[in-house]
Amino acid sequence: MDYTFTLRTIYPYLGELREAAALTLALSVLAIVISLAIGTGIAVLRRSPSRPLRLLAGAYVEVMRNTPLLVILYIVYFAGPSIGLRLSSFQAALIGLSLNSAGYMAEILRAGLAAVPAGQFEAARSLGLSGVQMFRLVVFPQVFRTIYAPLGNQFITVILASSLASAVAVDEVASWMETVGSTSFRFFETFLVAACVYLVLCQAVNLVRIGIGRALFRSEAMGR
Amino acid sequence: MSTDWLSYLPLMLRAAGTTLWLSWLAMLLGVVGGVALALMRTSRWRGLRIAALIYTEFFRSIPILIVMFFSYFGVPLFLGRDLSPFAAATLALALHASASMSEVVRAGIESVGRGQWEAAQAFGLRYWLTMRLIILPQAARVIVPPSVGVFITVLKESTLASIIGYIELTKTGLLIRESTDGGFVPLLALAVMYFAINYSISLGGRFLEHRFHAGRPAPGLA
Repeated sequence: MDYTFTLRTIYPYLGELREAAALTLALSVLAIVISLAIGTGIAVLRRSPSRPLRLLAGAYVEVMRNTPLLVILYIVYFAGPSIGLRLSSFQAALIGLSLNSAGYMAEILRAGLAAVPAGQFEAARSLGLSGVQMFRLVVFPQVFRTIYAPLGNQFITVILASSLASAVAVDEVASWMETVGSTSFRFFETFLVAACVYLVLCQAVNLVRIGIGRALFRSEAMGR
Repeated sequence: MSTDWLSYLPLMLRAAGTTLWLSWLAMLLGVVGGVALALMRTSRWRGLRIAALIYTEFFRSIPILIVMFFSYFGVPLFLGRDLSPFAAATLALALHASASMSEVVRAGIESVGRGQWEAAQAFGLRYWLTMRLIILPQAARVIVPPSVGVFITVLKESTLASIIGYIELTKTGLLIRESTDGGFVPLLALAVMYFAINYSISLGGRFLEHRFHAGRPAPGLA
């Protein structure tokens, strides 16, 4: 094997890497925010009194959880123009990623809402709390505690999944690795660097999650 | 304009078979790797525990896509010979799946009570016999249901093999799209087929979960 590992060969490409990492980060953060919003809506719909709405929301979750993200991205990217939507690569990737992640977010939130005992709602109502007050003071704190850990995992999943945006021509980190690897033939170095970017992003989310979790939940009784 | 889509159905079905075969093989390797990693994670030796932890955390923190690129373009540099897209895809999926499976298996092993170990020891069983006869059969009921989820993930990740040029279901759909009018019917067909496959598997998984949690004795112990 006459391959010498040297990071120096990819110095010239580090400028592009910074832009690529910024794109990965922007795509992930936006997708997390949007999918959390859509997911919340769907989780609420799944508790709606109307049966068709519940079924529809349930179907959305099943479809998104059982269809590969890559196929969803291709559909958004290629089908957009045929229905008169002109989407940039970034927009298509963002939409696909958000729609997909929303299915998982909805499921996490559904589990969170289901973990609040019915008695809590009844007690809040009998105390005369308004809908908003009930949600803010009684429901949300309990839901938050249940969804906290899985939500953190989902954030990491979205960061990792954003790499598929390279398939619809978004120049993020995975795409950087593919391009620089195949022009410089330094596959070990590019792999290591790209892996490090994701590793740092994911472990950062993980550490922040653990840190905030400790600070938030320390004071409360953990033996619930 | 009117393409006879049905004429492509046999092609798509065969490609679905390819996807299933690729995913199944990767899952099988992933289970073997996952069990090995889980044994390391629960081992008495610190070195083994740390090595397995690093492996698991590493593969859970990097996207399967770049593992796929690496195994297709990078590993041949190391081996001195090219890997076929199939071999590269299987390797990448298996590396990734073994990290997920190791967490699942570890949770299963840890779910078996301390007393089982002590009882086995009292009977004079060694580590391997205890593992094989006492611990793993009981851990299986905790391991099997989430493994179905891991398999579905592998199946969905197998779409990425299309990116390194392996002609499985996704690549077949894209090729059909290119050779016809470029509409999105083939893509929609892809989505439907993947959904049908994965949803059936997840229904099967739910059935298994039902059986395993119905208060029956663990398999192998009855």
